[in-house]
Amino acid sequence: MDDDSPWDDNVQTLKDSEWSKISSDFMNVGYREGITAGKEAHLQQGFDEGFAKTGAPLGREIGLLRGFASAILSFLKSPACTVEPSIHDGLLQDARAIFAELNRIRFSDIVPPDPEAEQHEREHLDTAAADRDDEIVMNEELQQKRDLESLEDMMGGMGASGAGSKQEQKRPTQEDVTALAARLRALTTSIGLPFPSIN
Amino acid sequence: MDFDLESLVHVEQSFYDEGYKDGFDHGRIHGLIEGRALGREKGFEMWEELGFYEGFALLWKGIQEAQGVKDDRTAHNIRHLLELTAQFPRANPSATDASELDIPRLFRQIRSRYKALCAMLGVKPTLRASGSSPAQEATEDPGKTPVASEEGNGLWKIDDTRVSVPPKDYSF
Repeated sequence: MDDDSPWDDNVQTLKDSEWSKISSDFMNVGYREGITAGKEAHLQQGFDEGFAKTGAPLGREIGLLRGFASAILSFLKSPACTVEPSIHDGLLQDARAIFAELNRIRFSDIVPPDPEAEQHEREHLDTAAADRDDEIVMNEELQQKRDLESLEDMMGGMGASGAGSKQEQKRPTQEDVTALAARLRALTTSIGLPFPSIN
Repeated sequence: MDFDLESLVHVEQSFYDEGYKDGFDHGRIHGLIEGRALGREKGFEMWEELGFYEGFALLWKGIQEAQGVKDDRTAHNIRHLLELTAQFPRANPSATDASELDIPRLFRQIRSRYKALCAMLGVKPTLRASGSSPAQEATEDPGKTPVASEEGNGLWKIDDTRVSVPPKDYSF
């Protein structure tokens, strides 16, 4: 037999490819099981962090403002109200407007970005442009909520803008929240009430 | 070629381990990100409602004081409501201590306190300030709020840990 027979070469190639197939198969299995385990092991930690650092303080901020506005509104409408009749209607209108604007604010309008999520998403885009099945998937429940909200936006847009007007209502921002808080404070003090200090 | 079966098994295991380790590190990032998104949302949802009751009570407290009202029942109700909201944790205690707080019960107490206060003030209660939430009817539904874990090691356990992870092809 000829030593340079191409047959020998093929055997070697076959062995090599067999070998790399085995190794990559095992690595893949390990990788899949690892990713699930790693994810499940850290969901709770992420949840606690998001709850305490972002969700609860942000929710409380908005909730308090809404509570203040609701109390002022109910005070202005109640018989206990001692405000001068001449300015009463203006104040009531103001309170209604503030309350309505506060109620428009959604979590998704004011939630700060998650830098780690954004960075990781970029990494996915960089490394795995080819395999699209590994994107960060949004939790199903959250996704449904977002979908519902955009549906609301569409409906709201239809009502408000009518025919042809392309002026879409902008979503509120954190700056709007700050501005609303200032308006609310001014309104409260103009009625002669203390604006509660919160911690 | 001489095959040592023993060492082959070892090699397979070490390939698996290598893949597992990389996968675990990657999964960790996804777990943190997804958990954080859920926690932010839940924390906001709960504290938006609680803050509403708290803010309502705080401002009415100011009104009563400014008007010099001597209404002990209302004042008592306000104080009690504020005590209850102050008890509500702002962090998920699962991480820190196994406290005995019954969250759904506390939530129910706070809601009924708020309703009672509204009745005393002659005000129509606004349940859930947010007009955009589908959980509008959450008022009477203690099961809706994150389930208190029965294992006792966390108040809000994430209920969907069975999230499927899309398979990733590992390439060299």
